[in-house]
Amino acid sequence: MNGWNLAAAVLLGAGGTAALWGVTTGPPARRVIAQNMTTSAVCPALLLLSQGYGRPAYVDLALLLALLGPVGTLVFARLLSDDLSDGPPSARVLTWTAAGAGAAVVLAVCVAVGPGRALVKLLVTGALLIGGNIIASRALADGFQGVRGG
Amino acid sequence: MADALIVVALLLVAASATAAVAQRDPARQALVLSFMGVLLAALFTVLQAPDVGLSQLAVGSALTPLLIMLSVRKVRRRGRARKEPE
Amino acid sequence: MNRLRLWLLAVGGAGLAALLVAACLDLPGFGGDRHPYGDRAVHASLLRHTANTVASVNFDQRAYDTLGEMSILFAAVLGCVVLLRQARDEHRAPPEPAGVARPVRRYALLVLPVALVTGLYVIAHGQLSPGGGFQGGVVAATALHLLYLGADYGALERVRPLGVYETTDALATGAYLVLGLAPVLAGTAFLANTLLPYGTFNTLSSGGTVPLLNAAIGMEVASAAVVLLAHFLDQAVEIEEEHGS
Repeated sequence: MNGWNLAAAVLLGAGGTAALWGVTTGPPARRVIAQNMTTSAVCPALLLLSQGYGRPAYVDLALLLALLGPVGTLVFARLLSDDLSDGPPSARVLTWTAAGAGAAVVLAVCVAVGPGRALVKLLVTGALLIGGNIIASRALADGFQGVRGG
Repeated sequence: MADALIVVALLLVAASATAAVAQRDPARQALVLSFMGVLLAALFTVLQAPDVGLSQLAVGSALTPLLIMLSVRKVRRRGRARKEPE
Repeated sequence: MNRLRLWLLAVGGAGLAALLVAACLDLPGFGGDRHPYGDRAVHASLLRHTANTVASVNFDQRAYDTLGEMSILFAAVLGCVVLLRQARDEHRAPPEPAGVARPVRRYALLVLPVALVTGLYVIAHGQLSPGGGFQGGVVAATALHLLYLGADYGALERVRPLGVYETTDALATGAYLVLGLAPVLAGTAFLANTLLPYGTFNTLSSGGTVPLLNAAIGMEVASAAVVLLAHFLDQAVEIEEEHGS
């Protein structure tokens, strides 16, 4: 067990438990925010795991999650927009904390990997993760208006 | 110590699967299910099965929620349409 | 009648439980270090210059099983298409365009090509790194639907000629079968990986027929997912029941 795996276990345990609690309790608005936070907790954990196991190919998992996680949140933001319209959820502090944590993890893994093609993939993953997280948060707050027929 | 990761991932998957069954509203079930899908992918990674983890991520993070939520929307719309003519 | 059903469920459940317990008692220990099947699979995949053993098992050593899985997906999507068709007492109403915030729309249009390329990358590297036709195909199909999420259904319909995807689905299924039959004509077994050179280890063209079968599965899964989602979207967004029927 090295430091990377330990960090991944802590991130997965703490972030996963918090997100699970958020996604199973409270009004719909809070649940979708917790669903969005799942991506920002698990994706950095997958990056840490790929570094901890010494298997660069595992970065593909983080890349896919960084791509598709926000898409999943957009699905809920669009198709639950009626439920979300009464109390538009705003989680600015949480969103930026998650973005900062994601950036820190990506930076740490980038420094450990060093320059090369793997670094480019890591940077793309990081950009997709942070950008997707912020945009998905925005979409939950007031992304879709007047979705009735479409 | 490597088992700690497996235990954490397994516990979260088991807890979220139970929570998904305990919800009553299909839309809320879909939210818990998408959480479980992502955690399941993490569990597969921890168990050194990245191919299965990728399949789970591809299907569970966006495609399954989209299918479920589209079905929910159809059922809700039909409910509205039935009520309106009366 | 209800009581009979409960009894049937109880008997079936008890039988299943007994079999599961019996099977669990015979399982090898969790995370052990002896993997006789794994060692043989790795050996066979290295002989055929396939870097990802899972891809070698899926598309070479057990390619026949993958044919079965592909047929299941094909039949399941076909069943959904039949079930979700527009019935006689339903009509189509064009969906109203939705109001999408500008950053969300921009994000969707920006990520769509990235997701499409990622899907193709996952398919193409199936025999080298984790991934393959199924995973990449689903990602590529999901990418298209960012147009629905970030714009509206009309925009998606314009770039999605459904007939083309249905044809591609059938063609890819046929391609897998043809790739399986070619070795039979050459005098070996169905789906045997003997026709093509195995290539240089850990390059895109290595593994004989593995990349080709992988690509066929990628095409099949991507178009099947698009067709499936298209019928779900039609039902959820466009098709309405006639009032008063």
